[in-house]
Formats: sequence, C-alpha cells, structure tokens
Amino acid sequence: MTFNLFAAEEQAIEEARLLGERLSAVAPEVRADFDALVEAFKRSTREQRRLVRVSDRLQAQLGSANQELERRRQEAETALADLRDAQEAMVRAEKLASLGSLVAGVAHEINTPVGIAVSCASHLSDATDRLRARAQAGELSKADFTRYLTTATDTSALILANCERAARLITSFKQVAVDRASAERRAVDLSRYIQETLVSLEPKLRQGGHAVAVDCPDDLIVDSYPGALSQILTNLVMNSLTHAYGDGQAGRLTIVVDQPDPETVRLTYGDDGRGIPAANLPQIFDPFFTTRRGEGGSGLGLHIVHNLAVGALKGAIAAESTPGEGTRFVVTFPKDTPPKNTPEDPPPARDDRA
Amino acid sequence: MEPLKIPATGRTPEVDFDFAAGILRLSGESYPDDVATFFGPVFAALRSFLEKPGDHPVRFDMELLYFNSSSAKALMNIFQMLETAARAGRSIAVTWCYEENDESMQELGEDFAEDLRHVAFTLKQVPADGAS
Repeated sequence: MTFNLFAAEEQAIEEARLLGERLSAVAPEVRADFDALVEAFKRSTREQRRLVRVSDRLQAQLGSANQELERRRQEAETALADLRDAQEAMVRAEKLASLGSLVAGVAHEINTPVGIAVSCASHLSDATDRLRARAQAGELSKADFTRYLTTATDTSALILANCERAARLITSFKQVAVDRASAERRAVDLSRYIQETLVSLEPKLRQGGHAVAVDCPDDLIVDSYPGALSQILTNLVMNSLTHAYGDGQAGRLTIVVDQPDPETVRLTYGDDGRGIPAANLPQIFDPFFTTRRGEGGSGLGLHIVHNLAVGALKGAIAAESTPGEGTRFVVTFPKDTPPKNTPEDPPPARDDRA
Repeated sequence: MEPLKIPATGRTPEVDFDFAAGILRLSGESYPDDVATFFGPVFAALRSFLEKPGDHPVRFDMELLYFNSSSAKALMNIFQMLETAARAGRSIAVTWCYEENDESMQELGEDFAEDLRHVAFTLKQVPADGAS
C-alpha cells in the first residue's frame, strides 16, 4: 500500500460524494450549494498540494544554495591558506635578500682596510727588496737603513691597524649574520650591537651623506633575539633611506634607547625626512603595502619589522609621523624575552657560532 | 483605466499592468516581507479592471522565476480571478514562463493550470540568464 499524503482529504471528498447522494434524496433544494461547497474544498485541497510542492522546491533550492555556499567557503579558505603560505615564503625571501645586502655592505666596509693593508704590505716588500739589493751590493749606508726602519715601522703599524679593523668588522658581521640567519636567542650588549649592525649599513649611509646619532646606555644587556633587533634596525634605516629623503638630501637619523621600567627596553628610531601621509600611516605595517611598487618596493620591509617586534621580541611597535618633519618608530620590548610557547620561528638547536 | 507600474525591489517583482492595452505582466522574484502590503494593491487594481465590462482580450505574462509560498497562494488567487472573468466570457490568455532546465518550475506551471478551464494557458521556456 502506497503512502498518500492527502489520504484524509480524499476520504473526506469521497464521504462528501456519498453525503451528496443522500442529500439529493432527503433535501434536494440544498444539493447545488452543497456541491459548490465540496468543489471549494476540492480546489483548496489542490492548492494545498501545489503549496506543498512550492515549499519543497524552495527547500531544495535552499539546500543546494547552502551546499554551493559551503563549497565556495572552502574554496575561499583554501585560497586564503595558499595566500598565507605565499606571503610567508615572500617574507622569508625578503629576509634572505636583506641578509644578502648585509653581506654586500660589510664586504664593502672590509674592502677599505684590507686594501690599505695590501698596499702597505706591497710598499714594505718593495722597500725590503731595495734594502736587500743595496746590502748584497755592499752599498748599504746607515742613512738607507734608518730610512728603511722608518718605512717598516710606519707600514707595519698601518698593516696591523687595518687588519685589526678588518678582523673587528668580520667578527661583528659574523655575529650579526649568524644572528640574522639563525634567529638564535642570546644576551647582547645592546649599544655595541646597534653599532655592529650600523657597520653593515655604513656604505649606504655614507653614500647619501646621512648621519646616525645613537644614544644608548652603556652596559645595557638584553637577553633576546639579536637577529630580530638587527633586522628591525636595518629595515627601519633602509625604509628611511628609500622614502624619507630626496636626491642629495642628507638625513639625520636618531636611535634613542631608554628603559621606561627596569624590565622593558624602548628603542625610538627617528628620521627627519618628508614623513608619511596620514592616510598611509595605518597601512604601513600591512604586508605588500608600498608606495614604490614597480620601483623595487616589496611592501614587506615594515611588515617584517612589525612581525619581529611583536613576534620574536614579544613587544610592540608604534609609528608616528609629521609630514615635512619626519617619522618616529617606537619599539618597546621586554629586556629578557619571555620563553616561547609556540615558536613560529624556532631557534635551531645547534650552535654553529665560533 | 490607469496602468499599474511598480518597479522591482530585491524581494518583490516588477508589476507592469497596462490595462488599456490588456497586457499584464509580473516579472522577477517574489518573496515580500509582508505579502498583503505588496499584493493588496495588485489585487485591488486587477479586481476593479476585471469588474469593468470590456471585450478587449487580456494577456497575463507570468515571468516569476522565484517565489515563496505566500506569493504562490497569491498567484493562485489571481488565476482564480482570471478564470472567473474568463468563464463570464472575457478572452484571457496566461503565459507561464520558466527557465530552461528548470523542470520543477515547468511542473509547477502545469499544476497551477489544473484549475483553469476557460483561461488559455501556455507554458513558455525562456533562456536561463545565469543569475541565481
């Protein structure tokens, strides 16, 4: 037996038909009105069937719309995850690229003392050859020997001083580069570390005639991620050099470090450049926000600064700018970074530092 | 008699009743917040048009592609009004439009035509516009 949704209505109609027949016999004068009433009930039943179909159709449409919605939501989530992956890859690439430019900067710096040492050594070698020739010829005078001693003293002092300078540069560079690449936590003297980081930027600063004034308390030891600090400083300086100054305009950059409380370090970085328009200020930390797209701007520099300040250093960063007067970034972070719970950028277990 | 023109909104269809020409048209989607507010004036205009004697043929184009249950009941009431007028001798033709591939809308049209004896009822397939 098949299920009939409208069995009760059909039964009522059948009973009405039988009742109509009995009415014809006992009260024929009401038969026509009764039939009209039955007809209205029949039509109402048909309408009810239609409405059920309309309602079922709507429900089915709603169901497939929901499925479609869910499918699109999943597509959008997949696309978002892909985008985040791509963004992380670009941030990593950008960090590597800045490591490359750090290498280039330091190589340039080391070139000068090494060049001086090489020419001094060459000069000393020539003088020695001449001295030996005169000695072998039996023509060595006391005056020759005295002159040679002066040359040897001067050049060896220069060679020593320049080699020491090169060695210092290499040491600081090695430290900064390892910190930058390894994201390792360690205690550093902040003042010295700032200076070491600035060494790699020296060629770019000198090129534009820019000056950096650092005001940092001596013996301020921070136990943190120096690679992140160095990257933050480099990116802030590069941001100023790229955006703040017109051609031939020499900038005055300032780095002021103080401690609002004994547990906290506040690094205030400032330039005296053209400033950031108020409309752009809320977006400067957004990934890929750049006013220099097509001119090599990746829009990741300040995003990385923000990520490192908030992520690695567990601190905060704020920016303020007065157009025409300059821009200030204030990075506030704990002197001793609290331990990571869920490391996003875990420090490697190995220690490959010398 | 003045034509009745109501522009479509997000939830109500376009009404274009050109009574003088005898061409009445409902098109779009119909799921009004309050069915009485929307269909009340439509019913009133249609009723007073059909009550006036006239022998001009009437054409009703039903181009609703989406409607809710109360709109469906309103349509059945409209069809009943048209059927009554047609039984009284008025020449009335209804065209029920459905998008291609929308079989359930076609079947609904056939269902809705079940009670029409005097109205000439036609199903008309229209191309799907891709908008859902």
